[in-house]
Amino acid sequence: MRRLLLTVLLLLSIFGFTACNNKKPVYTEDDYKRLNAVIHHVENILKYGKAYNPDTELLPDAINTLTGEPAKWVFPNRATVPYSNMANQQNFLRTLVALSTVTGNPKYKNQAVATLSEFMENYQDPNGLFYWGGHRMINLDTLEVQSTEGPDGPHELKNMMPYYELMYEVDPDATLKFMRQLWTAHYEWDTSDLNRHGSYSTAYDQNAFGQKIPDDIIKFGDDGRPIIPEDSPGKLPFVNSATDLSYAALTLSRYTHDPAPKAWARYLMRQYKLASDPVTGMTVYQFKSTLISKSPQECSNPAYTNSGCGDRARRQFRDFGAIAREANIAWKNTQAMYVDNILMLVESGKRYNIPEFIEWAREYLEGYLEYAYIRVNGQNKIIPMFIDGTVTYGYVFPEVGYYGPSNSRLDYVDMPTTYILPILRTVLSLEKNEDKIVLWNYLRDIIYTFGIGDIGELGGKKPNLDLDTSVDDPFALMALIELYEATGNMQYLDAARTIGNNIVKEKFHRGFFVEDEILLYSRLDQPDTLALLILDGVIKGFKVDELPFYLADSGYIHGYLLADDGVVEDRNYSHRIIYTKTIYDWE
Amino acid sequence: MKKLFGIISLIFAVLLLAACGESEEDIYTLLMEAEDLSGMKAKMGTVISEDGDLGLPKEYNGVEITYKSRNPDIISDDGIVTLPGECWIESRDQKGEKKFEGLNDNWPVVIDVTLSYKGMERTAKLLFVVAPREGYTCDKYLG
Repeated sequence: MRRLLLTVLLLLSIFGFTACNNKKPVYTEDDYKRLNAVIHHVENILKYGKAYNPDTELLPDAINTLTGEPAKWVFPNRATVPYSNMANQQNFLRTLVALSTVTGNPKYKNQAVATLSEFMENYQDPNGLFYWGGHRMINLDTLEVQSTEGPDGPHELKNMMPYYELMYEVDPDATLKFMRQLWTAHYEWDTSDLNRHGSYSTAYDQNAFGQKIPDDIIKFGDDGRPIIPEDSPGKLPFVNSATDLSYAALTLSRYTHDPAPKAWARYLMRQYKLASDPVTGMTVYQFKSTLISKSPQECSNPAYTNSGCGDRARRQFRDFGAIAREANIAWKNTQAMYVDNILMLVESGKRYNIPEFIEWAREYLEGYLEYAYIRVNGQNKIIPMFIDGTVTYGYVFPEVGYYGPSNSRLDYVDMPTTYILPILRTVLSLEKNEDKIVLWNYLRDIIYTFGIGDIGELGGKKPNLDLDTSVDDPFALMALIELYEATGNMQYLDAARTIGNNIVKEKFHRGFFVEDEILLYSRLDQPDTLALLILDGVIKGFKVDELPFYLADSGYIHGYLLADDGVVEDRNYSHRIIYTKTIYDWE
Repeated sequence: MKKLFGIISLIFAVLLLAACGESEEDIYTLLMEAEDLSGMKAKMGTVISEDGDLGLPKEYNGVEITYKSRNPDIISDDGIVTLPGECWIESRDQKGEKKFEGLNDNWPVVIDVTLSYKGMERTAKLLFVVAPREGYTCDKYLG
């Protein structure tokens, strides 16, 4: 009898241990349903995308989910162009590679390689820049390059972070050439002026990065504050371009073993750190203002917002005094500063051993959240302010200007779910627990307020997640997967599965993933399918690092097109004009 | 024997639940609840135009609540409002000549909140808008 009791006790102990610490998830029917939805989506994208023009492996940026036709850009002259822009398909390339990884079927990665091969072979300018980005695309009818910004649209990337690993695998020389020319075409080596527009006429420079790195651009005043130079000839160093330049340079150093590009990337990103507020830690969108090149007469009209009239924040928010500078505004471009920028810093900091990048990410986020993060009516919000903490909430614009019309009132700024991932990745990249705790506590509050439940104490102890959450967000999904991998706590994976199921339920319609059931187009760059495949891979035992990782989905096309009224010429973005169309607009 | 087996099973079931953390007091949820239900946010979203006590709660179901004002001259750490004698911002046109009277008179004041319970802390923020007192001045253009 005693033996029986001991056996029962042993079994119960084992059961109890495994119930709390089960680290090997069982693949379920629901898991397969999610994977099947992604396969269905990918097969449809490939079927309809390739059917439009059998002479090419290029794919459209988005597909009309009612007809299977490519999304089309309608120029002001009514020329209708089905377009392919490889800059806007990076997450689809990652999705294809991830799908081959989790299924063991090489055909998806082979397709990614075929598409990319055709693009890299045929659509790289002799100077090294690819025909992609904000103002260039490929016409899928003619396979000719098309400009959306006049006849000779410039090269423009903003927070794109291309899938360089695959590009390098496909064509190493073309990839290295592009990464060098990205700097040559966009960056002024001696002044750090940075033009988001790069010219296809700039000659290729094999010896890019060969110059001596100059002194820091940012100096400090007697008050200890950074002095923002006002000498940029209209080439402002916006951080959403700098992240792409730095990421390219760091990847270039990785492949060539040349330390110079890495040193330049560190130098460039350091200017943003130096220009950040020394007290609050909040960072900047740019570290320069424009040189005044226009006459006082030209600039006397506040509606004339040309950067040649000088710093546009100083002009419109002059009531606040010296702090009113474009660099110091903390309520605009927040996604670029605190999401895309942080993701690049943390990823590069880990991968290329640049500890200051991770430390800066921590300081930027801690400052921003400590001063500006607030919960209002159960929602995560940002208090509008300058980076020194001067609150601007409620300010009514006395006159029109770059930041909006007169009588606009500054309100709380939304904090989207995209913030979850950079905060978490920063926490996971820090070594000491005492360095993690501040950001973890903010992350805990932010995730709770988004309706996902309590992620628990630092290190994944005692989470109390809502396993019935209605959240259907890919960033929350990726965060929970990474939390699971970091802690081994099954509850994170269970919540991730719930969110994955929600994504399929809410976004998989007519055989495609769409952002909303009524939206007409399925975008190739959407992050949902990649997030679902990372979940699938982790359940199957892959490490997150063994799968393509998410860095951005900022792709767009910008230029001249015909307005919805069919008459007026408009200058707008693909995501505002095309991807907002619904199935009812089509009918 | 059956009775003994039943008791042992029960004890293990209880231990198992405790080990999984399901029966622990959820302090975090209480702290969140304190922020939302204590009434500290009652006057957010309104313009405060009288001197006096905001009545910020110091306690909620055992949760201790403390406040730190970023502008204690207008709202003290105890939640006492003293209407300012001047406007928040004096707004003028680009030339600095034309005044926009009354456009940006009301002050936004942020208060940092700490909620504590059994050694665990959370932070929150409140933002109140306070009007200047009658007869206020507005001669502080910085442009």
